[in-house]
Formats: sequence, C-alpha cells, structure tokens
Amino acid sequence: MNIIPQIVANSLIAGSIYALIALGFNLVYGATRFVNMVPGALAAIGGYTVFFLFNRLGLNIYFSVIAGVVVAGFFGYLSDRLVFRKLRSHKASNLVSFVASLGIFTMLQALISILFTSQFQSVLSVTENPKTYQILGATFTWVQGLIFITSIAAFVSLALILKKTSFGKAVRAVSDDEEVSKIIGINTNRLISWIFFIGSCLIGLSGIFIGFDIGINPTMGLFIILEGATASIIGGIGNVYGGFLGAFLLGFVENFGILKIPGEWKPAIAFGLLILFLIFKPEGIMNKKK
Amino acid sequence: MFSIQTKNLKKHFDGVYAVDDLSIKIETGQITSIIGPNGSGKTTLINTLSGLLEIDGGLVVIEESEKLSKITPHEIPSFGITRTFQNIHLFEQMTILDNILVVLTDRQVFRAIFETHQTFHLKIAEEVLTRVGLWEKRGQLAVNLSYGQRKLLEIARALAMDAKIYLLDEPFAGLFPEMVKIISGIIKELKQESKTVILIEHDMGLIRELSDYVFVLDSGKLLAEGKPSEVLAKREVIEAYLGE
Ligand SMILES: Nc1ncnc2c1ncn2[C@@H]1O[C@H](COP(=O)(O)OP(=O)(O)OP(=O)(O)O)[C@@H](O)[C@H]1O
Ligand SMILES: [Mg+2]
Repeated sequence: MNIIPQIVANSLIAGSIYALIALGFNLVYGATRFVNMVPGALAAIGGYTVFFLFNRLGLNIYFSVIAGVVVAGFFGYLSDRLVFRKLRSHKASNLVSFVASLGIFTMLQALISILFTSQFQSVLSVTENPKTYQILGATFTWVQGLIFITSIAAFVSLALILKKTSFGKAVRAVSDDEEVSKIIGINTNRLISWIFFIGSCLIGLSGIFIGFDIGINPTMGLFIILEGATASIIGGIGNVYGGFLGAFLLGFVENFGILKIPGEWKPAIAFGLLILFLIFKPEGIMNKKK
Repeated sequence: MFSIQTKNLKKHFDGVYAVDDLSIKIETGQITSIIGPNGSGKTTLINTLSGLLEIDGGLVVIEESEKLSKITPHEIPSFGITRTFQNIHLFEQMTILDNILVVLTDRQVFRAIFETHQTFHLKIAEEVLTRVGLWEKRGQLAVNLSYGQRKLLEIARALAMDAKIYLLDEPFAGLFPEMVKIISGIIKELKQESKTVILIEHDMGLIRELSDYVFVLDSGKLLAEGKPSEVLAKREVIEAYLGE
C-alpha cells in the first residue's frame, strides 16, 4: 500500500490546525510586537469550554463550539483591557510584557486544572466520530475534513478583511506604525483589544479542533504557542500570509520527517526547522529583509 | 483669532527642560515658523501639541475654546490638527495608495469592518497624490520609496486629513530643489485656503520666503518673536544659532 497519500492528508490536517494558531498568533504579534503566551492558554480554554458544554452538560455541539470560540476571544480581549493596555501606556519593554503574559498563562492553566483536573480528556469519542472518507487513497474523519475546510475559510476571510476593508487597513496600519495610526485618528487601544479578540477566537478554535482530533489537557497551551510561534517565524513573524504558509510547511516537514524516524522526534523536527530558519533566513519566507 | 495657544507649557525629560514655561499664540490662517538651534525643543513642542508626549505643566488652547492639559493623540484630528514627522513615519508595508486611503476611510472599529473604499475616496487620493507627483507610483510599497518621495508621501497624507492646522516638522530637510519647490508651493496653497501652518525649519531663505511670523526657541524657552525680517536681524537670535 502506498502510504504517501495518507501522510499528505495528515500533513494537511496538522497544517490546518497550526495555520489557525499562526493566524491568531501573528495578528496579535503584529499589533503588539512581543511574544504573548496568553493565546496558548486560550486554546485550552476554548477546548475546555466545549468539553464542559458538550460532554458535561450535553448541549448541542455546534452551539458549544461557537461558545468555546467566543469565550476564548473574550478572555483574550480581557487580557488586553486589564493588563497589556496598561503596559503599553507605560511603554513597558517586550520582556516585561512577555513575563506578564507568562503570568496570565500560568494562572489560566492553573484555573483549568482546578476546575477540570489535569487529566487528559477526549472531547469526541470514536463512536461520535465514526464516519471516514477516502480521497486518493487517504483516509480521514469528517472532523478532520471540517478542520481543513474551516482553517482555509478562516484564512481566506481574514485575508479579504485585511486587504479590502477599512478595518483591515486600520489593523495593518496599527501593526505597521502605532504612533502615526494615532495621529490619523485611530483609537489604537480599542483596535488592539479587538485584534486580541479576533486572534484569540482563532486560537480558541484551534484548541477546540485539537480537542476533537486528539484530546485536551490543561497544559496543551505551551505546545500550541511553540508550534504557532515556529510556524510564524518560518513564514515571517507578524505576517498573516507567511504564518499560514509556515503552518503547512511545518505540518509537512513533521509528518514526512517521522516517516523515517520515531514519532517521538516530531517536536524535535519542528524545532530543528525553526533553528535552521533562525540561522539562515531569520526574517522568514514572506517578510522582506530590513 | 488664534488657532493654537500654549500657556506656560512645560515638558521635561528627567533633568532636561525641553519645553520650558512656553507661552505662544499662533494666528489662524497664517504660516508661523518655529526656529531655534538643534535641541532647542521644537520637535518636543509639536510632539506635545499632538499628544504623543504628555504635558507636564501648563495648557494648550485650541481655537480659543478647547483648554487642554491632556491631549489624546487619536483625538487630534477631531480638533482639525494633523502633522508630519522630522524622522519620517509611513505605513511601510502598505502601498502608497493605502497609506492615503487609510486616512480617508472610516477608522472606527465597528463601522470599518464591512466598509470598503469608494470611488470618491479614490478621487481624493488621486488628487493629493497627484499634487505631490506620486499617483503614478500608487501601487508601490512605501518602504521602497526614495527619501524625497517619503517626505512627499507624508505631506500627501497630511493633506488627505483635510485639517485646519498643519504641524510640519522640517518638511524640507535634505530635499532636492525641485521637491522643495513642490512642498513650498503646497504650503502657500494651504495659506490661500486659510489653513494654519506651523513650520519648523532651519533654512533662513525659506523662512523669509514663507513665514508671516516667527518664534525662536532656545533651550525650550522663547528667545524672540516677530516678523521674519525683524527677528532674523536680532543679535540674540544670530548668536543663538552661531553659538551651537
Ligand atoms: N524622548 C526623549 N527623551 C529624552 N530626551 C529627549 C526626548 N526627546 C527630546 N529630548 C531632548 O529634549 C531636547 C529638545 O529636543 P528636540 O528634539 O525637541 O529639539 P529640536 O529643536 O527639535 O532639535 P532639532 O533641530 O535637532 O530637530 C533635547 O535636549 C533632546 O535631547
Ligand atoms: Mg526636531
């Protein structure tokens, strides 16, 4: 049997999840220019919100997913309103902002462990996700298909909004030069809080999808930020298009990598790729050299 | 009528009094130049007026009605104020056209989400970009422009803001004569349209040619004021420039 089609499918599915993470990560990074850990915890919050509403309360799955996305977005918005906006007004350094985000990240993780224990939980059992499809010799479940389609749809709509709408121009303007953005009348604080909301919704969705595909635990956020940051740096940090590209590249390299070496090496492959980029092409695929 | 007045305005950085108890009145509809040696506080004054630096003491009065001891930068367009920067600020990763469109279209979060630019936005963009000779290059990223073109794009952006008061921080610095001509032409046109221009400039020829009134700063304090011909002849002004 030819296993290549299956590996391509696996790469695409992994890439889709990384793409959602990288989109959210790059939106927030573009506007604030520091590595923010909070989105990692928000992925877990998205996943656990669905786990609570769907598995515990037995609510409708679609409703639960939408609620999970919005709750993650709301926590992202709140983190900016309560903490990062204040830090911006003090012109806090990137290191200070990073440490603050690490603090919030740890707090949120602890909160999830207290509420749900630190056990691994699966959101969809195999019986709930029985249907599989076959295309060109690759097998995938309907959830995996949904993950792929949703991530492409999220990317296309985000790209259109950024390119075509006035809102998108304002977002690009703030990411480019916050000072002039203010001078031309953009309420940058307000806009950045909404960028946090949108970015956190995307990351929350990725957490929910990871819950569907693999399962969730409270500490999943670290992995998510690392994968998201890796995809973003490979693609061009702060660049929404680059992040999307980097995510799929990462998905392919990881999945083809473990063809020859044991699966435990998957994270090492990701970071190997990251280090190669940091050394040889630190600006990433899509960003211009300064 | 005064468009901007400062009353005992203060701005200091640790021990440096960059703007020190400054009280000046800027007449509406005129070109007012602010001159002074390097480090005399000209840029700091404009940064304070546009809200990028917090006011440490005193007041700014706009249009004789708004008395402000705190200025929020994103609100200055609503006072009819716009500015350019000595160290040029553009949206580097956006095209020339988008650098202009972003100031023409809605900048409120919710109203902007589904708004796209319209034909009349494009018309205005064409008008201001043609005025500085950049319309043909509208598809290029700002980061790829030459130094002079960057200065011109900044002026075009200020024009697109359709303000009443223009704060221009050394708009001519480092430009070739033909570009100086374009910008001085625009400044004269602004005056004809009864706009107020506050110009920071080092070139005495341009100051004589353009300004109606001049303020001279030295170490954040007002050293002299008056008509350009009178002020530039004063001994203390000449000494302040030679003494740097
Ligand atoms: N952000 C800042 N932090 C600390 N000191 C500053 C800052 N901005 C300006 N200064 C200081 O304030 C003083 C006034 O500087 P400013 O830039 O306003 O002068 P200027 O008149 O615009 O000079 P130039 O003609 O060189 O542009 C200088 O001593 C400068 O070093
Ligand atoms: Mg200056």
